[in-house]
Amino acid sequence: MSLNEKFLPPDDMPEFHKPFWEALKAHEFRVQSCTDCGTLRHVPKEICPACGSQGVDWTRVSGKGSVYTYTVIHRGPTPAYQADAPYVIAHVELEEGPRVISNLIGVDPAAVRIGMPVEVVFEDAADGWTLYKFRPVG
Amino acid sequence: MSGRFGPRSAVIAGVAMTPQGDLSDRTTESVYWDVVKAAVADAGLRLSDVDGLIGDAAEGLGLRGALPASVTADMVGRPLRFHSVTSVGAAASAAGVGLAVMAVEQGLADVVIVPTVAAGKAKGYVGGDRDAAVAAMAMLGTPYEWLWGTTRVADYAVIAQRHMHEYGTTSEQLAEIAVAQRRGAVLQPLSAMGKKGEISVDDVLTSKLIAEPLRLLDSCIVNQGAGCVVVAAEERLDRDRPKVRLIGYGQAHGYLDPCSAPSLTTFAGGIAADQAFERAGVGRAEIDVVGMSDHFTINVLIGLEDAGFCQKGEGGAFVEGGALAFDGRLPTNTAGGFLSCSHAGLCGLFTLIEVVEQLRGTAGPRQVADARLGYVHGMGGVFQNHFAAVLARD
Repeated sequence: MSLNEKFLPPDDMPEFHKPFWEALKAHEFRVQSCTDCGTLRHVPKEICPACGSQGVDWTRVSGKGSVYTYTVIHRGPTPAYQADAPYVIAHVELEEGPRVISNLIGVDPAAVRIGMPVEVVFEDAADGWTLYKFRPVG
Repeated sequence: MSGRFGPRSAVIAGVAMTPQGDLSDRTTESVYWDVVKAAVADAGLRLSDVDGLIGDAAEGLGLRGALPASVTADMVGRPLRFHSVTSVGAAASAAGVGLAVMAVEQGLADVVIVPTVAAGKAKGYVGGDRDAAVAAMAMLGTPYEWLWGTTRVADYAVIAQRHMHEYGTTSEQLAEIAVAQRRGAVLQPLSAMGKKGEISVDDVLTSKLIAEPLRLLDSCIVNQGAGCVVVAAEERLDRDRPKVRLIGYGQAHGYLDPCSAPSLTTFAGGIAADQAFERAGVGRAEIDVVGMSDHFTINVLIGLEDAGFCQKGEGGAFVEGGALAFDGRLPTNTAGGFLSCSHAGLCGLFTLIEVVEQLRGTAGPRQVADARLGYVHGMGGVFQNHFAAVLARD
């Protein structure tokens, strides 16, 4: 992995993660929903922590939510990220409940606030991957 | 005398640490055996008395790194009777001491060493290279975190930001922690940062932003160093030497995935602390000195809240006014902690060593007056793995 390029998802991702990334290619944000108790979960997990079921559907969610917490990064992990600094990483609480981590783009980092409404945007990246990021609504 | 974990009584009998900072001119092996021998001698024992090892002892030990118990047997000249490894990051050494006490009190070993070392010309984290350490540590989470260019600092920064939002905690309050710990480091000649002198709240608040709201001086250092703790059966020890015992111990292991954690401001530390205090039969108010994992200032603040030294959300006010300095209300990380003393190897060991020194009354100019009871809290990961110990001087 070159430190001069941003990271991509690992090719050897476990099977149960793949539907999430397949949905992204269709520009759909999906999370696991338990077929027994209906609890939604992200990131993908082998088992439902609410009821222990291994039954999974992939439910399409709105991609809308609000900033739960965030940081403005001034010192990135590698040269590829350092070139973008300062940039924002946000934990977004989706309207449907689960929290998702990604970059918050299209915003002055100094203007980011907890509670700010945001929505998902899809970014087609190298090697056939589609990534998900968030931007402020309106 | 019987112990808390078995029919025999164990004593934290020896501690030693090297100067912390740059040990690149030494070989890993030479530093490792120097510090192990120094800790064994500090206990009044000989290397050939060692029959137990906690840890992998492997990082940087080259070809001899595999099968660490047998490597040790080669060197101490006898077979060991007990070996265990821990896999809980920075908390491993602090966690290991609890395991060592249990092994000795159960009669599985008489003299157990708990070492850590980072020295020599190794590359990356062990070599004390900041860029390499930052890049490597950024990948410790899952792709759902590191794809976005997160770093270990950022993993804690989002927690600090949320704590500020929920409870009104301020950057000035976080800075108080770094200032108090540096005062202790200045008085610990082995610390990495003490020679740079004291710092002010303003110094912290004007240091480089790394991941908002955390700045350079809110962050642990990247350095080399080595340390070792020896746990021994009381019957093997000289009666007249100062005895520090582990009288309470508890663990807790919380969520790995920050998206699933029910809170980003309350973690599992309280579960570990409650068990440790219950077994020890003492209360928080009786504690004279604390060692709290402090990868970043926010860890100390939330760690003290979770461990029950103040109410949740009141940590900011609690640390104000130099409260955590060696001469403050609750002396914490009095040698400087990971921020100013050492963040080398399985750095939780240095947290523990300082509390032992305080309880023995051997902390010199940073000595906490009449320290009899100590609390040590090791964290691994991002507030994920917790090891709590209550220590007492006879």
